[in-house]
Amino acid sequence: LRPTGDSAPPWRSTIAPATRWHTRFKVGFNADEAHNIVKECIDGVLGGEDYNQNNINQWTASIVEQSLAHLVKLGKAYKYIVTCAVVQRSPYGFHTASSCFWDTTSDGTCTVRWENRTMNCIVNVFAIAIVL
Amino acid sequence: VKISREVGFNADEAHNIVKECIDGVLGGEDYNQNNINQWTASIVEQSLAHLVKLGKAYKYIVTCAVVQRSPYGFHTASSCFWDTTSDGTCTVRWENRTMNCIVNVFAIAIVL
Repeated sequence: LRPTGDSAPPWRSTIAPATRWHTRFKVGFNADEAHNIVKECIDGVLGGEDYNQNNINQWTASIVEQSLAHLVKLGKAYKYIVTCAVVQRSPYGFHTASSCFWDTTSDGTCTVRWENRTMNCIVNVFAIAIVL
Repeated sequence: VKISREVGFNADEAHNIVKECIDGVLGGEDYNQNNINQWTASIVEQSLAHLVKLGKAYKYIVTCAVVQRSPYGFHTASSCFWDTTSDGTCTVRWENRTMNCIVNVFAIAIVL
């Protein structure tokens, strides 16, 4: 070790680089994790059910609320938007599209498609990083 | 000198922008399986482009669902975890004889 000067602590070296302390930040949106969370929510709400006009409003609301709650519980610095569309299976056409203007390095999305004999369900998760 | 900053998301302005985009793409058309992918893509892209052109400090997410009109059920829901003072949403419902269209705009304020 070589002393760097009177004011410097004696253990600081000019040869070795200064020690950096890293705090781990999880960067980026984990789409797989979100996918699993949402799929479990849909299974829990729609699994084993047939399309039912009386219940469908409650089901779609439950899916988005439960998915959102589980995502927030991950404790990451993200804002979330969860959308859910359920259609009764039929020969009629149904199409969805989405487009985003955001920070592609930090924000992300994930889409879960689910179906059973009587229903098709599409859930989109959009995650926007909160800049602290 | 006061620089005026519009705070909050202007849902009416977004509503008008999106409605014009839908009218421009779907107006006068009948449901057509060959074109529907291109139509939904055009609606979200044009809406997004016009919203961004407003020049406000917002990130935008635009979603569009088009269903062929039928006796069959179709339901949508959405839920958001965000800053209710600065972020906002707007939903535009449009229909004609053969199609129903629902477009959602979600606007997240960019903290500068």
